[in-house]
Amino acid sequence: MAIERTYYTIDPEGKLQCMKCGVPLVKGKAKFMYLDNGFPVELPVCPVCGFVYVPEELALGKVASVERALEDK
Amino acid sequence: MAEIEERGSTHVYKVNRISKEEIDSMVERCVYEEAPYCNAACPLKLDTRGMLKAVAEGDLKKALQIYEKAAPFPLILSMGCEAPCEAKCRLCEVGDGVAIRDVEAAVARHGQQSRLGSIFRTRKKKTAAIFGSGLFPLFLSAELEKKAYPVTVFCEEEDLSAFLHCETPFLDAESFALELKRLKGKDISFVFNCDITPSFFEEKRTEFDILCSSSEVSSRLFPDAAFLPDLMLCEEEQLVTAREGGVMAAAYGAKKAALTVDRLAQNLDPRNNRGKEGPSESRLYTDLSEAVALNRIPKHGSGYTPEEAVAEAKRCIQCHCEECMKSCAYLRHYKKYPGLLSKEIYNNTQIIMGDHQLNKPMNACSLCGQCTVVCPNGFDMAHVCHIARQNMVSTDKMPLAPHEFALLDMVFSNGDAFLSRPQPGHEQCRYVFFPGCQASAIAPETVKAAYADLRDRLDGGVALMLGCCGAICDWAGRYEMSGQTREFIDRELSKLGDPIVIAGCPTCAKELKTHKNLQVKGIWDVLLELGLPEGAHGLDRPAAMHDSCGARGDASTQNAIRSIAKQLGCELVDTPYSGDRSPCCGYGGLTAYANREVASEMTAQCLDRSDAPYISYCMACRDRFARAGRESKHILELVYGTDAGSPPDISEKRWNRLTLKNELLRDLWLEEPLEMKLNYELNYTPEARRIMDDRMILTDDVIAVIDSYRETGEAVLDSTSGLLIARKRIGNATFWVQFTRDAENSYTVHGAYSHRMNVERRQG
Ligand code: SF4
Ligand code: SF4
Ligand code: SF4
Ligand SMILES: [Zn+2]
Repeated sequence: MAIERTYYTIDPEGKLQCMKCGVPLVKGKAKFMYLDNGFPVELPVCPVCGFVYVPEELALGKVASVERALEDK
Repeated sequence: MAEIEERGSTHVYKVNRISKEEIDSMVERCVYEEAPYCNAACPLKLDTRGMLKAVAEGDLKKALQIYEKAAPFPLILSMGCEAPCEAKCRLCEVGDGVAIRDVEAAVARHGQQSRLGSIFRTRKKKTAAIFGSGLFPLFLSAELEKKAYPVTVFCEEEDLSAFLHCETPFLDAESFALELKRLKGKDISFVFNCDITPSFFEEKRTEFDILCSSSEVSSRLFPDAAFLPDLMLCEEEQLVTAREGGVMAAAYGAKKAALTVDRLAQNLDPRNNRGKEGPSESRLYTDLSEAVALNRIPKHGSGYTPEEAVAEAKRCIQCHCEECMKSCAYLRHYKKYPGLLSKEIYNNTQIIMGDHQLNKPMNACSLCGQCTVVCPNGFDMAHVCHIARQNMVSTDKMPLAPHEFALLDMVFSNGDAFLSRPQPGHEQCRYVFFPGCQASAIAPETVKAAYADLRDRLDGGVALMLGCCGAICDWAGRYEMSGQTREFIDRELSKLGDPIVIAGCPTCAKELKTHKNLQVKGIWDVLLELGLPEGAHGLDRPAAMHDSCGARGDASTQNAIRSIAKQLGCELVDTPYSGDRSPCCGYGGLTAYANREVASEMTAQCLDRSDAPYISYCMACRDRFARAGRESKHILELVYGTDAGSPPDISEKRWNRLTLKNELLRDLWLEEPLEMKLNYELNYTPEARRIMDDRMILTDDVIAVIDSYRETGEAVLDSTSGLLIARKRIGNATFWVQFTRDAENSYTVHGAYSHRMNVERRQG
């Protein structure tokens, strides 16, 4: 099986819980999209309802810098 | 929630709003790259300024390299040159001009030579022969060698020493030895003891591609051939030669001749494509207001010592034009003068695929127009940046992110917070007061007081219009939005009976004056006509007046404000860069949104001019100065004795506008105010408020997230921090709020963040 490239991986390590479903978030597949570009990532997601969590550090760090780069394309 | 569409990624080219020719003619205005006066006067185009700089830094070796580029035999030249550069030195206007030739002579004598010869250079295929001796053949041989032509000199002299000596008897023994060494180091072949007869010449003609000669040879062999002095050419004989004597004529002639050789070698017409040759007038501008009158370093005996040369070179003020750089924080930030910056910004707008590295600089200019006033040539950087933004918008390359907050704020001003009503008791009004969006956001009480005063003292009815004039979308380059805003305002004005606009802000006044058939006054004009209301008084300390960029070129407004300040009893201190030369506070052109760093440098530059409290007549200036910690008053705060207090954050600015509208609706028009209460309790930690202001997240955004959480129950609990985190996609961004649930219907917000990327689950 080909190894899929993901740009970023965050493991919730059991510290995050989905309030709606009452279950811990798990590492799951997600995708960032901006200005017609897509990036596969692995983020904490709820295995039941599919809520995808973007932590603050990620939003202000990597995500913000990729946004800037794409905006100036 | 209003939305503005994010740009797509289709690479369609719509309309190019600026042509290459237009930008070229703009770039042309900037004289930054123009040769300095001394350099322009030099027929050999010696980089005098660069050479003097190297000498001033004590680097005589580098200075000699620069000198040798223009003069292959520097000692000969420095002794024979008439120094036309010296007469043009700008320092002559205040004292002694720089003794350029004496410095050159010292460079030639004391500078260490660095050339290692040219053994490894590839030579050109076309060969050149030079007949005769003297200064012209000497210089020309060196020029052609520099251009890598294989050169052979045929002369009557018996050796190199005699060849060099024949027209340089003025060289002392030491200099002669140095120049001989230099000549020997060049890759030139010599054939000595030649008898240059017509038959000798004709025989060689077939062996070489290019023929050159001394004036003696050409006038002897071809006395009747016409000579073209601009080309240094006897065209019918295809002979490159000279006529005049003298060191300078020979050196300049050799340069022209070398260019002719180049053209002939490529079988091209030597008349064309010669570029700029010879002395010219410089278009450079140099401010001499700080230049001091100094005398030349006196020369003793045989010339300057290296130390004396350094001292003399240090007197050179390195003529440059930097008027705009001195006055504009933005240009200093990017360290590029407008000619170059404009070229780069234009190129940025032409990129279809790839990085637009100039987006940031293009969006950082405050479009304030100060450079146009301070530049001796009226360079209009604002126009360049403005049209470049429009171009990016029109080709769908403009990122929305830098301007989205401001644009949404404008949509808010002309939407939820918009108010347009005739004065109660009037159906149509003679006037309409238009205070401007920033006044309502920053000083709502002042707006109320001013409107009450105008209602009171003007006849014919004064309507009120709370909204944005459209400057915001204009600055962002969103020309379609500008058109819509213009139509919207015109429509609202016609409902009021097309009254005369009384603007509270010079930028609004300027913007509204561009509407057709609209009469616009400033509230300052009206106040001067009516006289100040009772009880108005100024500050009890001297204050600095900051002129708004909206009033640039508008002496009548600037003077009106000063008259009001005077009537208020204000004592105004003089500041540099006032009136038309005033810098921007950092709000203009949306710099404060697109580039906060540059904006704060602009604010700092404004405040650097004086330690006194600042009086301004634009609310945005008032706000930015207060935010930077300076005591700051809008002139209307003084007129109406209202104090807008400490600057509001971005959410309070919105709240102020809504509250102002609601209170006026309730009190003046007796209308039911909008419901502004939440049906739950929401608190913020001070840190959360600070973070939100910094990240441009509004309480409205936070409320939308909490609303959504209350509806769906969707949130994450972070057991490390104990915080709940919920999110909502609003327009082009996703907002996340970190909060605690304190009771059934009560929450405390601890933090918030956002991102523009969309995130989704992905299968497989
Ligand atoms: S002031 Fe600035 S824009 Fe004007 S010529 Fe000088 S360097 Fe160029
Ligand atoms: S001051 Fe210096 S740069 Fe200016 S004209 Fe004189 S020598 Fe040239
Ligand atoms: S910020 Fe003002 S002075 Fe500076 S380049 Fe832009 S328009 Fe000119
Ligand atoms: Zn869930």
